[in-house]
Amino acid sequence: MSTRGPVIVMELPEKLNHAAISSFLDELRPLLEDDRPCIVLDCSQIKDLDSGGVEMLLHCLEQAMKRDGDLKLAAVSPASGVILELMRVDRLFEMFETSAAAVRSFQTFALETTAQSQPWYAAPHGFADLKATG
Amino acid sequence: MLLGAVVAVGGNNQWASQDSATPLDAAGDVQKPLLREPLECIEIAGRSLVERLVVRFAAVDMVVAVLVEAGTNVPKFRTARENVTVEFVRDLSSAINQKVSDFSQQGIDHAFINCANTYTETDLLDLFSFHRESRQRVTPTYDRQGPLALWVVDCAKAEDVPLETLLRDSRSNAASRYFIREYVTRLQEPRDLRQSASDMLRGRCQIGPSGREVRPGVWIDEDVEIHRRARIVAPAYVGCGSKVRADALITRFSNVERDCCIDCGTVVEDSSILSGTTVGIWLDLCHAVASGNKLLNLQRDVLVEISDPSVLCSTSASRKFVPSASRQREPLQKVSDLQEQRPISGAWQLGNNLIQE
Repeated sequence: MSTRGPVIVMELPEKLNHAAISSFLDELRPLLEDDRPCIVLDCSQIKDLDSGGVEMLLHCLEQAMKRDGDLKLAAVSPASGVILELMRVDRLFEMFETSAAAVRSFQTFALETTAQSQPWYAAPHGFADLKATG
Repeated sequence: MLLGAVVAVGGNNQWASQDSATPLDAAGDVQKPLLREPLECIEIAGRSLVERLVVRFAAVDMVVAVLVEAGTNVPKFRTARENVTVEFVRDLSSAINQKVSDFSQQGIDHAFINCANTYTETDLLDLFSFHRESRQRVTPTYDRQGPLALWVVDCAKAEDVPLETLLRDSRSNAASRYFIREYVTRLQEPRDLRQSASDMLRGRCQIGPSGREVRPGVWIDEDVEIHRRARIVAPAYVGCGSKVRADALITRFSNVERDCCIDCGTVVEDSSILSGTTVGIWLDLCHAVASGNKLLNLQRDVLVEISDPSVLCSTSASRKFVPSASRQREPLQKVSDLQEQRPISGAWQLGNNLIQE
């Protein structure tokens, strides 16, 4: 596990099935209980993903969103992608090619949402633009 | 004049010098095969390609010999025919040679030799006339994509010539070739099974799905159980003894072969579910070929082996594993009831949302 600022990157194990999820969930649970958890799960090592594993990913996403955070997936292999698609959950997760790209996506989002140097109506395509064109 | 046909099944068609290299994945590893049986033995819309070929040859009163490589499991033909024999052989190449000389001794002058993974809809009698006029030992066939595994041989002239020599002769420039413009399918990889099923359901070829066309474009075979809340949207095929459970949807040229189960809420779209496969509840199977616990996604070109029986497994394995949703059995609809469903005219109605083709 590695921590890059507020974003936590965690590598998922080779087996993410009914038997393996409880130990992994124990490790992840404290991180999910933080305020606004920003978690990236690196899926590059996954070789065996089953319905239990998918259920765990959904549970983690739900917990993160409850606390106003988010959970993103990185380096999802084509085989894992097929299983997520088969179980209709692929569209629920934001997926990135690499963990670094996933981490960057959190930081970009944070910058955009926290930049308050100008009033909201001065933003591009905001109220000021409307006034100028009108 | 008597005509014969030799249909060769199995053996990767190595005797016909077809490319039988084992596919590699992106990393260069050898891929596990989706199916153990040769593709020509896999039922597509109710019948295997072997049977469809036999029906075609037998329809023009040919004496048909099906030579199957030992250890290959050929599904039982649905229609028995008198002039068709099936023999299991160790060496296909020498068995074909032997059969050609047997034909010659039986007074059969000319014979078609066809690898069972190649199906053409050319006029066989026209091909025979071309061969007779060209007066050559062997006439090869071609289509736009290149040579086809279908030849016509003069049994008397070919009797004592090894098959390899015959086929080498046929590839020489001196040989007159017969060009086929009609429909052709070559089953070389599992993707071709999907294409073939799609072609049948779209009506691109003369061969069609077996079973009854209960609604335009919806073919249902014998002993099928379809839940009253399941939807079959044309064109689609459901094979013998299969079960389609509540809220399942089968659509877009999909074929569900014999003894399959599509569990509650699952969508099967542009996919082939090969015989004896159980698909679990609330899944989305798109652009895929599924067989037992293996799934080939055609868009991503990935073969996945699923260890979770609640998702995908063979029907025999699913009898041991009963998903909770399947335990609540609701009344099933008979095929006769399905046929009686009248198209609903007018607007889309709440609670009356039968999908029309």
